[in-house]
Amino acid sequence: MAQDARVQEFVKSFQSLHSEVQKVIVGHDDVILSVLIGLFAGGHVLLEGAPGLGKTLLVRTLAEGLELSFSRIQFTPDLMPADIVGTNIIVEDTNGRKRFEFQQGPIFGHILLADEINRATPKTQSALLEGMQEGSVTVGGATRPLPAPFFVLATQNPIEMEGTYPLPEAQLDRFIFKARVRYPAIEELNAIIERTTRPREVEVRRVLSGPVVLRLRELVREVPIVSHVRDLVSLIVMTTHPGFEHAPEITKRFVRYGSSPRGAQAMVLGAKVLALSQGRYNVSAEDIRAMAAPALRHRIILNFEGEAEGVDSDTIVARAVESSERLAVREKEVFLR
Amino acid sequence: MVDPTRLDRLVRGVARQVRRRRLEFYGLKGAFYGAVAAVVPLLAKGLVGPAAAAVAVALVALGAAAGALWGLALATPRADVARVADRALGLEDRVATAFEWAARPDRTPLVDLLVADAIAHVERLASSQAVRRVLPGEARLLPLPLLVVLVLAVAPAVRLPVNRLPDFSAHSDVEGSPDRTGKLEESEQTLAKPDPIKVGPLSERDLERASASLVSAGDRPALFKDTALGGQRPDFNSFLKKGDERLKLLEQIDALPDLRSDFTQSDYKMMLEQTKALTAEGLRPDQVPPQKLRELLEEMEQKGRKEAPQAAQNASQGLRALDRGDQAKALDAMNRSLNTLRRAEEERKGALNLSGGKQGETGRRSSDSGDSKEPGNPEQEDPGGSKGLEPGKGPSDHPQGEATPRLAATPRDSSLEGDPRSGKKDSIETNTYGRAARVPSRLPVGSAFEQYQRMMEEAIAREQVPRDYQPQVKDYFRALSEK
Repeated sequence: MAQDARVQEFVKSFQSLHSEVQKVIVGHDDVILSVLIGLFAGGHVLLEGAPGLGKTLLVRTLAEGLELSFSRIQFTPDLMPADIVGTNIIVEDTNGRKRFEFQQGPIFGHILLADEINRATPKTQSALLEGMQEGSVTVGGATRPLPAPFFVLATQNPIEMEGTYPLPEAQLDRFIFKARVRYPAIEELNAIIERTTRPREVEVRRVLSGPVVLRLRELVREVPIVSHVRDLVSLIVMTTHPGFEHAPEITKRFVRYGSSPRGAQAMVLGAKVLALSQGRYNVSAEDIRAMAAPALRHRIILNFEGEAEGVDSDTIVARAVESSERLAVREKEVFLR
Repeated sequence: MVDPTRLDRLVRGVARQVRRRRLEFYGLKGAFYGAVAAVVPLLAKGLVGPAAAAVAVALVALGAAAGALWGLALATPRADVARVADRALGLEDRVATAFEWAARPDRTPLVDLLVADAIAHVERLASSQAVRRVLPGEARLLPLPLLVVLVLAVAPAVRLPVNRLPDFSAHSDVEGSPDRTGKLEESEQTLAKPDPIKVGPLSERDLERASASLVSAGDRPALFKDTALGGQRPDFNSFLKKGDERLKLLEQIDALPDLRSDFTQSDYKMMLEQTKALTAEGLRPDQVPPQKLRELLEEMEQKGRKEAPQAAQNASQGLRALDRGDQAKALDAMNRSLNTLRRAEEERKGALNLSGGKQGETGRRSSDSGDSKEPGNPEQEDPGGSKGLEPGKGPSDHPQGEATPRLAATPRDSSLEGDPRSGKKDSIETNTYGRAARVPSRLPVGSAFEQYQRMMEEAIAREQVPRDYQPQVKDYFRALSEK
């Protein structure tokens, strides 16, 4: 297939899936975009928002638009890891002999909806770690691969809500993006009322299959990125660290730990998907700016003062981007900035 | 593969724009500093002459040209230019990415598409300015030095101060003070003469020569007051007007003691010297020349009749003992007479306030020895009654004065353990023990005693022994001689 056709296929697939989701979901364009980008970048996406904002509906709609298996786990405090990954059970064959047989858990699906993931204990939350990072699960000494593509979409309520367990940092880092689902505007709310209070007529078409998704993921990695844009990514990540010399004051004051290198990878991969989705063949600095907040906001851990002051990690990321852009051209002559 | 010539053209065009903006930017900067520098020759127009304006214009032009050249000489990396073009023309980093990735060996298949896409976008662009004009801060200030240059070029030359000190000598000639008139006239006459020696300001060597020509150090004030020197050294006049405490001290000669007169020269001293000469070299009493001893005793008797009758009486006793041939008693009488004379001498000095020490204390001493006491006057109270007196230090709380600090010594150093040997009295040797036994004494006791006695007398004569201790010292030696 010609390269141009591949790119066109990507653009068309992306837009098709986007359109299908938008049939159901009103508004939340940035959330939908983050989810789609996460899907094509090969990562997992965490959706955070108050109950009733359409998080679960968004994921279910996405799953309906893809020819992929879909699993849903409702996380509760008494949920055990075996309930997620599966367990060995004793079965009796036709000869009456008993043997252990692995009973797959819901994690063995292409698209996994981990609903209200922060209502389970950290132990149970950690059951997702290996699957999200390695694409396989180890149970009873046997490692079993997960189907590809494997895409986890987790939803969580704001941490301040009662009966929630904050996700471990290691698990948070496994999510390529964290999208914040905000309350809809009045117009969007009106549209939601209109769509949801009448007999459902919207039909979501399956526009993408698993192999196509995998092929498009490979195309994403071919998108070139120029060195000065790559340098900007590194600078942005570094300026989220309070120990970095040129970090902005807000970072030095309120941040305990900055982003890991996974944050930089997430930014670049997301920017590549974004560029391709717009029919571009290269990553621009604007793509990086657009991906900075969803890729870094859950990787920045505030210190006590930052938590007490209610500092928003999006603000810290925005300041980091500004500082990095200034730093990138600081040494340049006035006409070459 | 797509030919990226169009992209090259775009980058070159943007690079030209960058260089043009740099030329403007740095040219204006250079013109500003050139204009500032151009003010200098115009200020010195009187010295430079008509060429000042031309030099000023040249400096402005030179500054502008140097700045422009500097701007042109700056490097313009293609990657940076491509990035500027992307940003300015809204190409979303297409050109920069295409340039960078087109040359990379690990280029992906998408790079060809990227280059083609970039060219397509560039071709759609209308020719526009990718590099905006930036003016330096100096450009806003440039009119100021240019205006100054213009004004200075039109205005007459500014008179600059001459780099020379004013000639005060001619000025001082005109305004010479009346007391220097004679000197001024002399200088004029000297100048009128065909003197080959050039008259100039005095050097340090001249001043030293002039001071050396004066008689002595006592004439140094006269040197300072010399009006001729003072006239040639204005700072001397101010020095004299201001006054110096050292000069005032030199003028208070009468207040200082007359150090030239020797108060130690007295009859007692002369007799003491004669006594020392007579008993020198450790002579025994029978070895003293009787004739000289007689002359000395007669002199003491004669002297004692005038000032100390007791001394005359002692001297008479000595003469009688000498007549009897007992030179030892004659010498003893001579010593007693000498002591009496010394006391009389001390009393005389005390009466004249010449006994040394502080003036107030000497006054007290004289009142101590005299009869005129005024009760209630603290300066005339008897210091010896309740308080001691130290020479040169004033009264002491101790009735006998402050004790003389003892030398650091161990008992073994100051004492001698042993038994007397048999033999003559004046050559008694001792069987010593302890440390002293290792260094046995070879000096006869009699000679040693006489030497120490003379040293004691000399110490008392020099007033090295406090007056209140003198009787004790004498009694000590007397007790030893009786043994």
